[in-house]
Amino acid sequence: MKTADNRQATLQLKDALKELGDLKAALDEHAIVAITDPQGKIRYANDKFCAISKYSREELIGRDHRIINSSHHPKEFIRNLWATIGQGKVWHGEIKNRAKDGSFYWVDTTIVPFLDGEGRPRQYVAIRADITERKRAEDEVRNLNAALEQRVVERTAQLESANRELEAFSYTVSHDLRAPLRAIDGFSEAVIEDFGPLLPDEGKRYLRTIRAGAQRMGALVDDLLTFSRLSRQPVQKSQVDMGQLVRDALEELGDAQKNRRIDLRVGDLLPCLGDASLLKLVWINLLSNAVKFTGKREVAIIEIGCSAGRHATHYYVRDNGIGFDMRHAEKLFGVFQRLHRMEDYEGTGVGLAIVDRIVQRHGGRGWAEAVEGQGATFHFTVEGGAAS
Amino acid sequence: MTDVAPARVLLVEDNPQDLELTLRALRRAGLGADVHVARDGVEALDFVLGPGGGSGAAPARRLQLILLDLKLPKCDGLEVISRLKSDPRTRAIPIVVLTSSREASDVARSYQLGANSYVVKPVEYDRFSNAVAQAGLYWLSVNQPPGLE
Repeated sequence: MKTADNRQATLQLKDALKELGDLKAALDEHAIVAITDPQGKIRYANDKFCAISKYSREELIGRDHRIINSSHHPKEFIRNLWATIGQGKVWHGEIKNRAKDGSFYWVDTTIVPFLDGEGRPRQYVAIRADITERKRAEDEVRNLNAALEQRVVERTAQLESANRELEAFSYTVSHDLRAPLRAIDGFSEAVIEDFGPLLPDEGKRYLRTIRAGAQRMGALVDDLLTFSRLSRQPVQKSQVDMGQLVRDALEELGDAQKNRRIDLRVGDLLPCLGDASLLKLVWINLLSNAVKFTGKREVAIIEIGCSAGRHATHYYVRDNGIGFDMRHAEKLFGVFQRLHRMEDYEGTGVGLAIVDRIVQRHGGRGWAEAVEGQGATFHFTVEGGAAS
Repeated sequence: MTDVAPARVLLVEDNPQDLELTLRALRRAGLGADVHVARDGVEALDFVLGPGGGSGAAPARRLQLILLDLKLPKCDGLEVISRLKSDPRTRAIPIVVLTSSREASDVARSYQLGANSYVVKPVEYDRFSNAVAQAGLYWLSVNQPPGLE
């Protein structure tokens, strides 16, 4: 019986050892393994340890880990490591080491202390994984981020300074450019008032032409300022009742509609999310254009409508005015672009550029269709539709 | 001061052409004789408060209206508003800002400091002269100033 028991025990032991050997082989394939005595002297180093540290096993055995110390970590860090494992607790962390050839490598490290019967450390087993590549990538990401942040800071500063310059420029334009125009207009008028009887009609006509020129330039300066302000002014979005905006805009255009027969057809207009004061400017410009360019019709027909889209709401103003040649449609929204002669239709040529800029700042776009001599339709969209 | 009739309006304007046009508009509104002109902010403050800001006890000049440009040499219009509206002796004098600037920040700042009105000078002379005449007539004949019997 006894021999049978012994044989059984030996077999079990063999199996257990085989199992252990398999585990060790697998571990050696994956990890850097070292075993040290309680004083930290290396008693065992596997092949991976030798490979990464570039020391031979003979060079490592009997030495402590200072041989691969990189001086990267503060004393505090090392003290904490020893205090942890000295108390019999597992230590886990990332360590930067220095190989024999002076190159550095990073290891993700777990140190497990094994205690003797009296609770004192008997030996420490350290299992490590090479994380040099990951650390390098992390460093790179960190550096890239820092560089990116630096660039953002620089660009923001440049933008801010450009904006300040633009603001100073606009201020000067609004203040200093208007003063001489006022003088030209004012003194021309003074001549007409004070010396009118001394002037021939032709002379008075010249003065009126001078005044018209000064006033036109005043209007240009004002429109340009409005236009430049549009890019700087923040867009304050709220729910906007477009029907109400159209009624407000039409009211402001009251004078232009005097002595005119206008058949106004305003459909139900969907509300949208936008800046009410800016969108009102869009309607004022489009509607005043429609009124202006239907000036030669017996009855002007102006139709205002909208349609819902998935991502944007679309609005339009259609008129039966003089229209334009579609070949020029592209130019229409540029600053100072005019498709008609001054004598026929007055205006600064900034209106549609203002429309375009406002619509862009609402995530939409503006476009136009026309048949020369038959009328035009101006469209714009505002971001946010049925889907949002 | 050698004025026979004391000035009721102070016009503060550095641009000679705007000055002439404004005076012309005031004259045509029948207010020409009442106007004293200052060409910069310091001159304006000296005229109202006495040289060097006057002593705190000395009475300030009695005015019924100040027409004030904002962009002025030496001491700008905003500074003038701030000084006059923080002094109890001059706080009640109506100040109408008459300027080319339609910058929102100028408008807001002027009112914050206590300006009574803000008028952007129109380029068209007819509108400009109307604005000046209206402001003058309102503050001089419609408005009831304090302490004038």
